[in-house]
Amino acid sequence: MLAFSSLRRLGWLWVLFVVGALAACQAAAEPATTEATAPPLQTIRLPMGYIPNIQYAPFYVAVERGYFREAGFEIEFDYSFETDGVRLVAAGEVPFAVASGEQVLMARDQGLPVVYVMAWWQKFPVAVIAAEDAGVREPADLEGQRIGLPGLFGATYIGLTALLHYAGLTEADVTLEAIGFNQVEALATGQVPVVVGYVTNEPIQLRHQGYAITVLPVADYVSLASNGIITSETMIAEHPEQVRAFVRALYRGLQDVVNDPDVGYEASLAHVEGLADQDKGVQMEILHTAIQYWWTGGEPPLGHADLEAWQNMHDLLLDMGLLSQPQDIEAAVTNEFVP
Amino acid sequence: MAASSRPLPRWSPPSRRYEIASIAAGVLLWWAVARLSGLPSFILPTPGQVWTRGWEALRSGLLLRHTWVTLQEVLVGLSLGVLLGAPLGYALAKSRRLERIFAPYIVTSQAIPVVAIAPLLIIWFGPGMLSKVLITVLITFFPLLMNTLVGVRSVPEELHHLLCSLGARRWQVLRYLEIPAALPMFFSGLRIAATLSVVGAVVGEFIAAREGLGFLINEARGRYDTALVFVGVLTLMALALSLYAAVRYAESRLLYWQRRNGQAVVTPGRR
Repeated sequence: MLAFSSLRRLGWLWVLFVVGALAACQAAAEPATTEATAPPLQTIRLPMGYIPNIQYAPFYVAVERGYFREAGFEIEFDYSFETDGVRLVAAGEVPFAVASGEQVLMARDQGLPVVYVMAWWQKFPVAVIAAEDAGVREPADLEGQRIGLPGLFGATYIGLTALLHYAGLTEADVTLEAIGFNQVEALATGQVPVVVGYVTNEPIQLRHQGYAITVLPVADYVSLASNGIITSETMIAEHPEQVRAFVRALYRGLQDVVNDPDVGYEASLAHVEGLADQDKGVQMEILHTAIQYWWTGGEPPLGHADLEAWQNMHDLLLDMGLLSQPQDIEAAVTNEFVP
Repeated sequence: MAASSRPLPRWSPPSRRYEIASIAAGVLLWWAVARLSGLPSFILPTPGQVWTRGWEALRSGLLLRHTWVTLQEVLVGLSLGVLLGAPLGYALAKSRRLERIFAPYIVTSQAIPVVAIAPLLIIWFGPGMLSKVLITVLITFFPLLMNTLVGVRSVPEELHHLLCSLGARRWQVLRYLEIPAALPMFFSGLRIAATLSVVGAVVGEFIAAREGLGFLINEARGRYDTALVFVGVLTLMALALSLYAAVRYAESRLLYWQRRNGQAVVTPGRR
């Protein structure tokens, strides 16, 4: 049996414990007087339209440097298909997505109320890539060629059609083969002498593997609307401040990478699995090439959509039968949120 | 195997009232969800919108053209799957050693997801019909092989001894014992293979094609034409169901002794 003095000591210890616990709870309940009350972050899922890649460096920089957080957003990258992202934005399931210009026009043609609010890429990144001995030096040389492309849909198909139109050719003047996303393999094995891909991907891969190729970037011949940020008409009408905040955050990330590509590489390491194990020289070449397509260096300013490019894309889609009727360009794209 | 004196029961189409009622209920549920959920048509079109779009695609020839391409891939692939799977299944049933030799490759071929190996087949064999047919063969020959193997091995040994004692030759054992005995199991495998063959053809078309229902669905998806996506999917379902029904009909005709012996070949709609 404990002595009376021991019981008294235990009692005091118990009282001290209770007082201390109460004090701790009180401290946790009250915010620190030195911190300003910050608005809660809104977690949003951002459909990217492609797999994790160094080309998404502006997004990764905006996350790593806290630009999105300052704007009130916690970003969850979603690397699902581009068309799914457009649908999700139109349905109000996600506020923003990455999508290409032609997707916006085609979606609006089907009644999806999406709007392009920031140009991430100002130049269309699709290119025709040919084995050097195929003799393709200019668009007119495509006549009579067998051309492999992922399918008769999407940016590659549209870009190729634009190039054919530029040369006064039609699909009847070439042989198109749907080869899936196997352009490098198809060209390397000689399945087809010409493929359609992206300037930041297939040409770099092929050259680094030692294949002699010629490249015809569509952007060298035709100006077309390219990848950017989309949102819904509802978001613009009801939450324009959020649209502005998101666009500004990404703009800052884009600006940082354009000014210093190494910043983009470093930020991408945390978001592109295995990037550190890949050839840094190749990755930086991809990034430098992409930067040249993000901004021409002159007009329009960084992040701004080129309305002439949009008109070109609109007319091309109409001519291809991918739009059922003319669209109002000014309802489909706006630069009002870009700094 | 005494010949029966009873006349062969007349084959008549089984009652479809349960299937029709089930489909009607499904369409009604679909309509209710589409109308009451508030989802836009580019997410969930109504049955009416899908019907209208499907009729347009039928009238323009678009649907028939793409369906014909997929049907060709399915029929050729399924036929090759039968020609490959059944004889190989018989050979493995008769030889344990052969079974042990081929087992690793057969099991591995089924463990690898078709969507993973399809791009490789397209790279190796090109984006034409050949790669789609090979994908279909890959997906269909396994159920045919295994069911043939099990069917042949299910023949009681006593019957083998009986025929041998009667002086039957090897081809007579095959013709009068092993084939009839294995046919029920073979048809079970063929039913499964018939529906899987549609999956195989479409997987290939999703990856690289310029025709076929898989291509049509992909293209419609890229144009936000969700109603046409539904048309493509429903057409694929109809294709699979038709193949299944065709196999069941062939089964009911060929396995006539089951009907003679009062063991009705179970068909949907008949108890």
